[in-house]
Amino acid sequence: MDGGTFNAWRLTALTPLPAWALALLGLAALASIALAWRGLAGEARRARKAALVALRALAAVLALALLAEPALELLQTARVRNRFAVLVDASRSMAFPLEPGGPSRAAAAGAFLRDHRAELERLADRVDLEWYGFGGEVAPVDPAQAVRGLEPAAGRTDLLGALEAVTSGAGASSRRLAGALVVSDGADNAALADGLSGATRARLRALGVPVSAVAVGRSAPRDLAVERVAVDDFAFVRNTVTVEATLRARGLEAQDVRVVLRREGAVVAQATVRLEPGKERYSVPLSFAPDQTGTFVFTVAAPVLPGEAVTENNQRSFVLRVIRDRVRVLMVAGRPSWDVRFLRGLLKQDPNVDLVSFFILRTNADQPGPQEDLSLIPFPVAEIFGEQLRTFDAVLFVDFAYGPYRGLEIDRYLPNLRDYVRGGGALAMVGGEQSFGDGRYGQTPLAEVLPVAPLDGTSEAEGEFRPRLTAEGKRHPVTALAPGEAPNEAAWASLPPVTAVNLTRALPPGAGASVLLEAPAVSVGGRAAPLVAVREVGQGRTLAVATDATWRWGFLAAEGGQGNRAYLRFWNGALRWLVRDPSLGPLQVEPDAPSVEPGAPVGLTVTARGPDWGPAAGKKVSADLVSEDGRTVAHGEAVAGEDGTARIELVPPGPGAYRVVSRAEGVADPASAAVAVRGAGPEDADAAPRPELLQAVAEATGGAYSALPGGDLPDLALADPEVVEIGRRKAVPIWDRWWTLAGLAAVLTAEWVLRRRWGYW
Amino acid sequence: MLRPPRPISRRRFLQGAAAAAVAAALPRGARALTPDAMLQIGHVQHGGNWNPRPTALRRLGWELGRRTSIEPAADAVPVRLDRPGLHRHPMLYLAGSGGLPPFSEAERAALRRHLMYGGFLLVDSADASDGTGFDAAVRRELAQVLPASPLQPVAREHVLHKTFYLLDRQGGRVLVKPWVEAQAIDGRLAVVYSQNDLGGAWARSELGDWEYPCTPGGEAQREAAFRTGVNLAMYALCTDYKDDAVHLPFILRRRS
Repeated sequence: MDGGTFNAWRLTALTPLPAWALALLGLAALASIALAWRGLAGEARRARKAALVALRALAAVLALALLAEPALELLQTARVRNRFAVLVDASRSMAFPLEPGGPSRAAAAGAFLRDHRAELERLADRVDLEWYGFGGEVAPVDPAQAVRGLEPAAGRTDLLGALEAVTSGAGASSRRLAGALVVSDGADNAALADGLSGATRARLRALGVPVSAVAVGRSAPRDLAVERVAVDDFAFVRNTVTVEATLRARGLEAQDVRVVLRREGAVVAQATVRLEPGKERYSVPLSFAPDQTGTFVFTVAAPVLPGEAVTENNQRSFVLRVIRDRVRVLMVAGRPSWDVRFLRGLLKQDPNVDLVSFFILRTNADQPGPQEDLSLIPFPVAEIFGEQLRTFDAVLFVDFAYGPYRGLEIDRYLPNLRDYVRGGGALAMVGGEQSFGDGRYGQTPLAEVLPVAPLDGTSEAEGEFRPRLTAEGKRHPVTALAPGEAPNEAAWASLPPVTAVNLTRALPPGAGASVLLEAPAVSVGGRAAPLVAVREVGQGRTLAVATDATWRWGFLAAEGGQGNRAYLRFWNGALRWLVRDPSLGPLQVEPDAPSVEPGAPVGLTVTARGPDWGPAAGKKVSADLVSEDGRTVAHGEAVAGEDGTARIELVPPGPGAYRVVSRAEGVADPASAAVAVRGAGPEDADAAPRPELLQAVAEATGGAYSALPGGDLPDLALADPEVVEIGRRKAVPIWDRWWTLAGLAAVLTAEWVLRRRWGYW
Repeated sequence: MLRPPRPISRRRFLQGAAAAAVAAALPRGARALTPDAMLQIGHVQHGGNWNPRPTALRRLGWELGRRTSIEPAADAVPVRLDRPGLHRHPMLYLAGSGGLPPFSEAERAALRRHLMYGGFLLVDSADASDGTGFDAAVRRELAQVLPASPLQPVAREHVLHKTFYLLDRQGGRVLVKPWVEAQAIDGRLAVVYSQNDLGGAWARSELGDWEYPCTPGGEAQREAAFRTGVNLAMYALCTDYKDDAVHLPFILRRRS
């Protein structure tokens, strides 16, 4: 217990009494003094009154001291040197000129630090000086390098993050930070991007460090930028989608600028914006209705105006997946029948199908009674086969003849229906005694697009016919009831036979048609009659189901305990194929991510199927990256593995929108996808200096502020310059000195004696 | 296709021959349909009096052919619930008069499967019972076939009442209940039950006489019974088709 090692002390209380008890005792002491005062109200001699009250007060103080057990705490302390951080902005925005035509902000910051390095180093007798460069991250830098100007390379500016990192000891030190000097343009694009908010202000204060700031750069560069594009990740085909672009203009005179929305080079929407001096942001809605499903890169672009500081930020790309909202199917049925009933039930239950159906419930020959008792509506032929036809993704004719309805003249619309198919529509003709040749479609324009040739004037073959898969049918997605060839054939073999077959002839090779399923027991011209056939015709697709008994594959199969899965699979597959569900194509290419960072490779997975729809193992596949102007900018090749997939990595040359076009040996149509390479990062998007932000930071933390050009090094504020660390401590009680108690006794005795003498008792 | 052999009287034979002549004179659809394309109702044979109105379904079929584009088969086909082939007939007809012995578990399971996969059953009480006789027995059986779907009166606005005719009244030989009841599966009526002896109103002898008078509504009530029958057949074949075509305007939903 060598008191000599202690170099500081402080007063403390050793009492075990809680604070509230001490407070009560204090009140009691005050009360005793007040009582003494009141008791002496009649005393005329002031000296007597003062003496008695003083004695009472002294007694109260001594009594309190006894109870509070005051002690001296002897402390052993050590002094630690604090740190001072100089943070220099090294983000890309520092490459912009300080003033129009002037040196870069980075160079100006370096020159400023060089001029004031001596002043800064004078701080070194109080604190340790640390130098940092910051952008998105913060890293120590050599002061010699800092005064030459740091290379403006960082892709982000996160001032608050840098301050927090430095305060919590990024410099491998647990010593406190006494202050910081920030030299920056203030173009923060992290937490402070929108200025100081309540939360960020609180975070700044929590640093407990005065942050002084030197703002570099005063005026905004002349710049037009597409600052933001707000759009969903996907849109529905043929539905209007609105892209909300935010245009930002700085330092530009009043003029009209044209903003365009491009889909891979083609302008799909545009708008003209009137720039006004003093107004910085403009919201530009760009609306269009995508006409194709798929994944596309869209670009919002503003023109590059003369003298702009940054041209990379004049456009912004995004990837939009265009999907169908629901497959819109028109089903026209010639009469109510079980085939129609179950097909309609299947389509109605599918949440992805928007079904519009028309059943012919009566013909002119029927006599149902007065019209007003009927719920029937006229068949709106002109609407559905005329102007509305193109809104449907697929049209289903189920046992429907165009002929018998004299007043309707449906045959007038058959050319329109044919053109609809050729233009990208889908048509399925399902059999029955009013379909195919039975309905005399052989000489109509529809025969030009059907996958089989109807034999006019024939009638359905009746009997129980077992279907057989053709070579194409064994691999085609429409007839894939089970994965794998053998299970699929077994699935077909287990289905109930069909009971009727419309007589049609397969088309010659070269017509783009394939028969997938046939009825070997029914012969047409010496060959098995087609039962299910498909065709690619023009941009569209057609399907023929030459029987009205597919419902037996569901309802009748269910009786045998097989359920109706085969029926559901067949028709779901057929519908998806008809409407070109992208997942059913023979070649698929999928980028790992819709957008990549500049310089990063684009990873692609290519999946290829052969003409027989089996995995195209060992086939060569390739992928090209095509830029917006149609140039191939990267090319890669690979060989498909056992499962028909291959990996290809391509490196895009730079920011922008690219179409991925993939080809495979033996597959006619290329597959495509889209990928965007992020261009204008946040640094390029907004490079305007924000001295007001730095000033606000300085004010919020109690630091000083100045601005370049012209500004001087501000008076750097430092927090409590030294911190005291406690090594050893020892408490020395004061109250157990004998004279404390003796003093109390003497004071009380004195008061008693004086009161007796002066006649208060 | 098994039909119990019935002795044919000389009188019945003559009646049949006369009907055949009438049919030949009628301008029916020229083209023959395959059996699967036609509406051939499966007439459920059960342990009770399963065929109280033997001519009813034939007459209903005739009216369907005359009034609508439905192509009915010439007659219904008797089916047994527990025999293979039940699913050839997605529409079943179960009639009866008086009590009916409980179905076997196999029969219940077969009927349940038929209905679950999309089948339709019309139950017709011929004995005008309410809480007794056929009514009590068939309610007991239906509750066991679809225990999760209790029989409920079909609301007036239900699509069943506008599948072909706009119906505002019930038909039948009698009028025990002014509504029909139904058991629904996923919103689709799978079983419809009439206590009003629809078959009695439909039944017509081969010579062209209505076999039973309709009370209390007379011939209007008989016409209502046929319209009910037409709507039921339309419902079996088109389900809620009229809900979309009627309620949606022709130009359904414009895009963009």
